[in-house]
Amino acid sequence: MSHDTHHHHKESFITKYIFSQDHKMIARQYLITAIFMGAIGIALSALFRLKLGWPDDKFPILESILGSDAAPDGLLDSNWYLGLVTLHGTIMVFFVLTGGLSGTFSNLLIPLQVGARDMASGLLNMISYWLFFLSSVLMASSLFIETGPAMAGWTVYPPLSVLAEFQPGSGLGMTLWLLSMTVFIASSLLGGINYIVTILNLRTKGMSMTRLPLTIWAFFITAILGVLSFPVLLSAAVLLLMDRGFGTSFYMSDIVTSSGALDATGGSPILYEHLFWFLGHPEVYIILLPALGMTSEIISTCSRKPIFGYRAMIGSMLAIGFLSFIVWGHHMFLTGMNPFLGGVFTFTTLLIAIPSAVKAFNFITTIWRGNVMMTPAMMFCIGAVSTFISGGVTGIILADSALDISQHDTYFVVGHFHIVMGMTAILGMFAGIYHYFPKLFSKMMNMRMGMAHFWVTIVCGYGVFLPMHFLGEGGLPRRYYENTNFPMFDHFLDLNILISVFASIGVLAQVIFFFNFFYSIFRGPRASQNPWNANSLEWTTPVEHVHGNWIGEIPTVYRWPYDYSKPGKENDFVPQNIPLDDNEEEH
Amino acid sequence: MEIKFIIIITVALFFIALVQLMKIYDLAAKVRGEKSQEKLSRSENLLMANLMLVFMVAFFGFIIWLISKYGSNSGLYQAASAHGKDIDELLMINWYIILPVFFITNALLFGFSWKYYYREERKALYYPHNNKLEAVWTIVPAIALAFIVIYGLMTWNKIMYNQEKGEVVEVYAYQFGWIVRYSGVDNTLGKADYKMVSSSNPLGVITSKTIQDTYVEIDQRVNDIDSILSSNINADGEYLLPEKKVDKLQEEFDRLKRRKYRIEASIDRKDNNSTAYESSNDDIVVQEIHLVKDQPYTFKFRSKDVIHCPWFPHFRAQINAVPGMETSFALTPTITTKEMRSDPDVQQHWENINVIHNERKRRIGEPEERVLFDYVLMCNKICGAGHSNMQLKVIVETQQEFNQWIENNGDKKRLTFSGQEVNWSKTKSQASL
Repeated sequence: MSHDTHHHHKESFITKYIFSQDHKMIARQYLITAIFMGAIGIALSALFRLKLGWPDDKFPILESILGSDAAPDGLLDSNWYLGLVTLHGTIMVFFVLTGGLSGTFSNLLIPLQVGARDMASGLLNMISYWLFFLSSVLMASSLFIETGPAMAGWTVYPPLSVLAEFQPGSGLGMTLWLLSMTVFIASSLLGGINYIVTILNLRTKGMSMTRLPLTIWAFFITAILGVLSFPVLLSAAVLLLMDRGFGTSFYMSDIVTSSGALDATGGSPILYEHLFWFLGHPEVYIILLPALGMTSEIISTCSRKPIFGYRAMIGSMLAIGFLSFIVWGHHMFLTGMNPFLGGVFTFTTLLIAIPSAVKAFNFITTIWRGNVMMTPAMMFCIGAVSTFISGGVTGIILADSALDISQHDTYFVVGHFHIVMGMTAILGMFAGIYHYFPKLFSKMMNMRMGMAHFWVTIVCGYGVFLPMHFLGEGGLPRRYYENTNFPMFDHFLDLNILISVFASIGVLAQVIFFFNFFYSIFRGPRASQNPWNANSLEWTTPVEHVHGNWIGEIPTVYRWPYDYSKPGKENDFVPQNIPLDDNEEEH
Repeated sequence: MEIKFIIIITVALFFIALVQLMKIYDLAAKVRGEKSQEKLSRSENLLMANLMLVFMVAFFGFIIWLISKYGSNSGLYQAASAHGKDIDELLMINWYIILPVFFITNALLFGFSWKYYYREERKALYYPHNNKLEAVWTIVPAIALAFIVIYGLMTWNKIMYNQEKGEVVEVYAYQFGWIVRYSGVDNTLGKADYKMVSSSNPLGVITSKTIQDTYVEIDQRVNDIDSILSSNINADGEYLLPEKKVDKLQEEFDRLKRRKYRIEASIDRKDNNSTAYESSNDDIVVQEIHLVKDQPYTFKFRSKDVIHCPWFPHFRAQINAVPGMETSFALTPTITTKEMRSDPDVQQHWENINVIHNERKRRIGEPEERVLFDYVLMCNKICGAGHSNMQLKVIVETQQEFNQWIENNGDKKRLTFSGQEVNWSKTKSQASL
């Protein structure tokens, strides 16, 4: 690998900052795009929480932000409510926690941690980012059209998503949604293939698979999941486009509209659900694993202690990755599928709890008798482990097909997945940003603001999503524009206000992060080379970004990345490129 | 416009002020000789560690408060159906396993984070793995989960393999409401087909009469379109209407013709219609669901347009209604509406709900009303703008009350497709198995 000649290229502004093929610049581009998408995504949730908390009040701010079609006189329109919910889900799941999380940290860390000059294909990497950017623009633009964005929920089940007659968002908004997702999938496939190839082929000398940091294992398994499952979503989206535009009936059968019975016959919306959830469930782990991978790394570094059960961690991630492909039916227990099949999916789903439990216990044991540095990144990781546990245990209830009969699609589900998937992943992502900021921008973020950001975020996150479980136990269905049509839900009025207050504070608190992030990029203090005294290879690169990552030779690796507080060593960390002493056991 | 401008200016000024504050903070930090943003001081570490503990206590307190306020009375009370009791029991057992795990693991997590905060003189324990320990926390969850899986599947099978018993009632979902059809004396729903759906036959039930009616309706519309099109054409054969409208009309025209052809080919049995579709003769369409206590029912669900999900929260019953297929769910109501209303817990709860309900009514200037407990059917799958208000009252009553309802013909809008009188009190005894 002699990329050394690249150093001498004089780069123009465009090739350096815009159409860059350097993985570190692409990681920054992904991160900043994702932060903007994330701002839109959480802002949308704050807007519809206003309606849910104060169903009778008028909020002129809604009209000034969304326009008079969406919120005439400050009262949110019921179609637009569903539109906001749909885009909130889509943006957070795909654009922030898939594109943003994997895109940023796989790109940044894979070459740096495996010891490569760059990704296997810089060109594909650049195309991948620009497709992501294009799909983000398409998705965001659907908020600005007259008939509104897609409104059928982030799962966009047909037939609701097929005919504009069923809801206005199924017109142009849905077309934009499908186009955006198609481009997004292309981007994510290009990225995924690149990550896999880089991890398999470009590891530096001595970097065996069992010396890889757990982040890399997580990104590796994530990329495999993505490459295997996203094409299925692509096929689902293409068939949906055909049903919408070309008169096919893959998902349509026996449908009556206001102009009488349609011709469509023989299709089934259940087919769509199968295709969607065949991606949809691995998607949960595509979101979770990178966050958990970084959490492993950061918890170990900041506890000054090796990660407990390194091989068990890899094994459990592989098990989770494998099982995630055979559990999708638990989203469909109540579609009328064969009860035997439901039983099988219950079994496979509950199996996932075992590797998940192993991971949680290993995280906790890593902290046990450690020497815990409470950096913002570490605190976000503790938060992520907590939400992983809290949301994981309620998953046991939802995985049980019999219990799903009384919990399915209620707020219990909303509370569950926001905690286990949403919060764990977003806390993990924040942890990654705080921890790797020195590598991303060569600067340090302000720690005290990071601490404040953490506390408000975790308090508000739990404050929003824990009460939702109780709404669900009271039978309240999700995606209800208002709960006031049923007197039986009136005793949840005050709980809904509480949730909305927490949500508003939580959303506003992200301003702290925004400010800290952008301020630190430009005015933050310069980082030292290895601010956290960490072991992995990225901290051996120069502080300022150089093309090719290392000036001179790529370091050779002699040990795993978790030699913290190793007995007989002077420092409490031993970087991977330090050779073993005589008689020293590896681990 | 002005207000927006002022808001934008204020926000901008706020950020500028923040940046300036940060600069001052940075300078002050430099003057005091503080370390950069890379190391935490001992006191900061300790503070954060203590906050972890404070947070844990607040977190647990919040959950315990939620459980005591909303968990003990979720608003659904005891399950009002036979299988619902099994579900509730299973749920409770799950909670008894889950909650201790939740509290213990979270306590360990926050407790360790608090106890082992960073002190320079300490050294962490080098403890990379322990196979025995890892085996323990693989096997123990596995055993607990095996129990949960087995118990769960037993309950699931008991509920789901119970589908062909009981009196058959159809619930037909549409945007945004429900239509209910009782299967009558023969306990068999008359055949229905989406191609037969029209304003006069919303369920698309097939009888010799509805077939003829549908033909008439289709022919009429076909003629209408034909006359619209032919009267708006000029000598050159060009339409005087907008192109879009012509396309739409022609499409509808073709679709109607195809529909009629398909009815003739696949539904119409010509002279045998009355015998082929006789089971619809005693079907009755009603406006509310009336159920008899302890009588098994099999609900059949169809959908007219999009996926809906009939959800009976008090019976712990739901299943999707999917266009193009029929789904079913069997349930036996065990508590009448009256019994439920006279339950002291329910009474107390509804007193409370009345207070909240009317407080809101006053606030929004609507007349106050007294609301009572009722079983209800609602939609639990996103289906469009009216999703949050697809409600239908369900009444559970004794056999006598049910017979009374039928005899009083209290429900004026019920239809019998054959027009003949049906003795409903007979229905029950024949249908029960």
